[in-house]
Amino acid sequence: MSDSSSEPKRGHFAKEKGEVILREHEYDGIQEYDQKLPNWWLFTFYGAIIWFAVYWFLYYQTPTFRTDREKIIAEMTAIQEKKAAELEKTLASLDDQTLINVWAADPAIVASGEAIYTTNCVACHAADLSATMDAGGTKIPLPGRSLIDGQWTYGGKPMDMFKLINQGSPAGSPGLNGALMQAWGQMLTPKQIAEVTAFIIAKNPQEFPVTP
Amino acid sequence: MSQGNTKTTITYDDTSVRQFMIASIIWGIVGMLVGVIIATQLSWWQMNGKFLESISFGLFKGEGLQYITFGRLRPLHTNAVIFAFVGNMMFAGVYYSTQRLCKARMGSDLLSRIHFWGWQLIIVAAAITLPAGLTRGKEYAELIWPINIAVALIWVVFAINFFITLAKRNEPSLYVALWFYIATIVTIAMLYIVNHLSIPTSWIHSYPIFGGLQDGLVQWWYGHNAVAFFLTTPILGIMYYFLPKAANRPVYSYRLSIIHFWSLVFIYIWAGPHHLLNTDLPRWLQNLGMLFSLMLWAPSWGGMLNGLLTLRGAWNQLRTDPVIKFFAAGITFYGMSTFEGPLLSIRAVNAISHYTDWTIGHVHSGALGWNGFMAAAMFYWLAPRLWKTKLWSTSLANMHFWVGLVGILLYVAALWTAGVSQALMLNQLDETGSTLKYEFVETLKSIHIEYLLRSIGGTLYLVGFILCGINIWMTARSGVATNDTAEVAVLQREKKDFMSWKESIFNDPLAYIFLGIVLVCLWFFLPKGANIAALVAAILLSIKAVMSFRKNGEQWANWHERLIENYLPFTLLVFVSVAIGGALQIIPSLVINRDKNIEGRLQELYTPLELAGRDIYIAEGCYNCHSQMIRTLKPDVMRYGRTGVADDYSHLGESIYDHPYQWGSKRTGPDLAREGGPLAQGAKHMRIGKRDNVWHYNHFLNPRQTSDGSNMPNYPWLYESKTDFKSLPKKIAVQQKIGVPWPAMTKDEIEQSAREQAMEIATNLVQGGVLLDSNDKLQGDELRNYLSEQKVVALIAYMQKLGAYKEVKREGGVQASPLDPDSYRPGSMPVEKPAETPAAPTPAN
Repeated sequence: MSDSSSEPKRGHFAKEKGEVILREHEYDGIQEYDQKLPNWWLFTFYGAIIWFAVYWFLYYQTPTFRTDREKIIAEMTAIQEKKAAELEKTLASLDDQTLINVWAADPAIVASGEAIYTTNCVACHAADLSATMDAGGTKIPLPGRSLIDGQWTYGGKPMDMFKLINQGSPAGSPGLNGALMQAWGQMLTPKQIAEVTAFIIAKNPQEFPVTP
Repeated sequence: MSQGNTKTTITYDDTSVRQFMIASIIWGIVGMLVGVIIATQLSWWQMNGKFLESISFGLFKGEGLQYITFGRLRPLHTNAVIFAFVGNMMFAGVYYSTQRLCKARMGSDLLSRIHFWGWQLIIVAAAITLPAGLTRGKEYAELIWPINIAVALIWVVFAINFFITLAKRNEPSLYVALWFYIATIVTIAMLYIVNHLSIPTSWIHSYPIFGGLQDGLVQWWYGHNAVAFFLTTPILGIMYYFLPKAANRPVYSYRLSIIHFWSLVFIYIWAGPHHLLNTDLPRWLQNLGMLFSLMLWAPSWGGMLNGLLTLRGAWNQLRTDPVIKFFAAGITFYGMSTFEGPLLSIRAVNAISHYTDWTIGHVHSGALGWNGFMAAAMFYWLAPRLWKTKLWSTSLANMHFWVGLVGILLYVAALWTAGVSQALMLNQLDETGSTLKYEFVETLKSIHIEYLLRSIGGTLYLVGFILCGINIWMTARSGVATNDTAEVAVLQREKKDFMSWKESIFNDPLAYIFLGIVLVCLWFFLPKGANIAALVAAILLSIKAVMSFRKNGEQWANWHERLIENYLPFTLLVFVSVAIGGALQIIPSLVINRDKNIEGRLQELYTPLELAGRDIYIAEGCYNCHSQMIRTLKPDVMRYGRTGVADDYSHLGESIYDHPYQWGSKRTGPDLAREGGPLAQGAKHMRIGKRDNVWHYNHFLNPRQTSDGSNMPNYPWLYESKTDFKSLPKKIAVQQKIGVPWPAMTKDEIEQSAREQAMEIATNLVQGGVLLDSNDKLQGDELRNYLSEQKVVALIAYMQKLGAYKEVKREGGVQASPLDPDSYRPGSMPVEKPAETPAAPTPAN
């Protein structure tokens, strides 16, 4: 190291004079200062330790924090209530004729219904609603039911479809080869379900003729 | 200093240093290359094997190659980088510096050779077994049990070699670098052994003795502290030796070394549970994990300060010396990632960051920035000295620095963005405020560009590192491998290791610390009232300790000065400091009746076929991308829980029999905790859950058929390789030994049950009209018989069982009990299910 008059003194001499100490011992030529610990650094350390005590005290001695269980049940219950209200509102404005005459007749609604269908439904019902896929020239079945064969196992009215999509296959139903549809009401809003329903209606014009 | 009565000339063993260094560079390139490959797999699923079709001009045909899927290569990448690259780098640094700090040749040349070649053999074994799908299914602890034993043995060889060197040292006191090496050796041995305790079922397979929550705790006690004591402490030791050497400046502060060393090794161990935040893990463990992580910030930055401030007066070298460049950047990245670590450990932040790429970005700012750059600095400093020549090209080293730095920044920034934006999308509610806005796969598609940038960043980093390899190679060629010699004064026996055990253990500073820890633990564990008394006592004791330190500080310092001249008492105290945290977290969860933690839900036992399927799930490394843990967070429960069940997070009891636990640490795909379902109507064993068997069949064959935009590999080989029915009796016998209450079954009954269930599923699949890609002539009963033997059916059986549990009534709510702080909390009684919650459609039975 370079020499200069501001260089710290070694050992006891420096300590007595309150200067920065360069320790006397060397390890393979490596020397060590003995600088004071930076105050800001000490404060972060003390701060974290004090926060430990404060947090632990607040959690275990006071009702400041809810437990995770209390919190999640409160939050999910609120969500469920909101969702139920939303469903009630949608149901109040929907009936078979509205779905056919208004929703399925609106190309914008059908288009957004198709987008939702493409994301969520094609795995089991296929893009062409036939519930089959092409495997090297032959059509093989997908897990879902065809939505264009005129068969409506769980009711053929538009509102039946809405409820089926919302709640999934009815409890106790054997399903198709054991396959049960999940309750899409969990991932989709009532409005989105109505849009998908409108899309399916629009794909079956003979079955659901528009009535003036 | 001893005015050497006798002098002797010693030759340092620099051959081992050269060997470890070269091995580190070679494995580093391999490990990083694998990293780049798996990074591209996240952008293009074809990188899981199909790309070979085009580059081999049709020689290889297939939709995927099982040996190179993400699930199998990711463990290879992490193991290669941690244990092969950093491991060998650490050994090179330890061997070089320890000999010089002890003024003695390594303990035994034979042990050095066994250590080097043994470690390389282990790496080769890992590189063969991991792609072959032989794994224990625990992160950074994937290697199968015979290799575990080899690792433990070689580590002991290293330890013996190291401690012999300490014992015969010709330097009375231990330099701070050696403290960190001691902490590394002792702690890694402890962590590795405990987390690898398992019972073999065959030469290549075993089950860990811990299950469910306990396995999770042990795993992250290990996983987090592998980062601490494999990737951090040895590198800090290396920093303390090589940085002042390279900068030719004294270390900034000796007392900072003492404070940050002891606080770091003591606090680090407690932080493991921060990998399990917001799960159903008991809250007191989560609180400890979070709060200790926050306390870890300062000790970590102590290391950074001592590094960066040592450079005071040497900053001008930054312009000219690539070694200093790499050191300065590496230590800065250390500071950044040890600030980010505590940040990510805050429960609210963790709710966003966990299971996303943010965590991956975080570990890479540590691995690439800290480990990779510190390694490069050390290599560039060592090579000219080991081969007695000049560095071949300083400009190439500078080039390495800039290419590498840009690589890291691209990589880390891309993954920060990816993690945060994906998390925000996953948590986003739509305009009604009652439904999630995005499907999982939509959030995955949205970070495609970040995944591309990450691959580019990783590639740049790899290129930089290859430049390093070339530079070191050319340097070695231009010089002559030389072993340094030194004339040293032989240190008399009485000048070192003179302290009695009594003197090293019974003294003021230790008494205060020990009493303090006891009081703080009593504060954690005692019932209400008594715990406050313990807290008050702890505070009074701290005040007394501070006063005593003010008065007798000299004596305390003197004790520590003497302690570091005695390597065995020092090592013992290090061991005690690192053992406390883990013991206090893990033992209560082992001791407390396990039934306490099930919270009303008890996992349904697997059937033999489901167990076989689970082992396939683990062998394919599915846990690398899928969690099985719905956290106690609204977006998690909304997305993965069942409709109408407000508390449908994953309760601890649901995975209590899982050896190993499969909660996962990253969601590249969605959580799978509720994929399963009840027994199908009329079926004896077969269950059908959220999705049916045909869906799963199609999905494993081509994930994009069922989920457009998925980046999951195709798994065609599951349709062409047979389930191992024969090994099931042995596996079940081992599971019984480790506490899974399997019903008594004979070998024949086990195999019969598995085959029956497989036949049920295969029948269902054939009725569903599935076909085989490879052989579409197989139909009807033939197809059914064929499928029933294939792995895909066993895996489907497992998928359909996920999350199955039975409700268990508990008498009288939570009982206050020792070792369970949460049970003393006011108002900690379980909340009754709200009346409006409809009865849960129990997924099983």
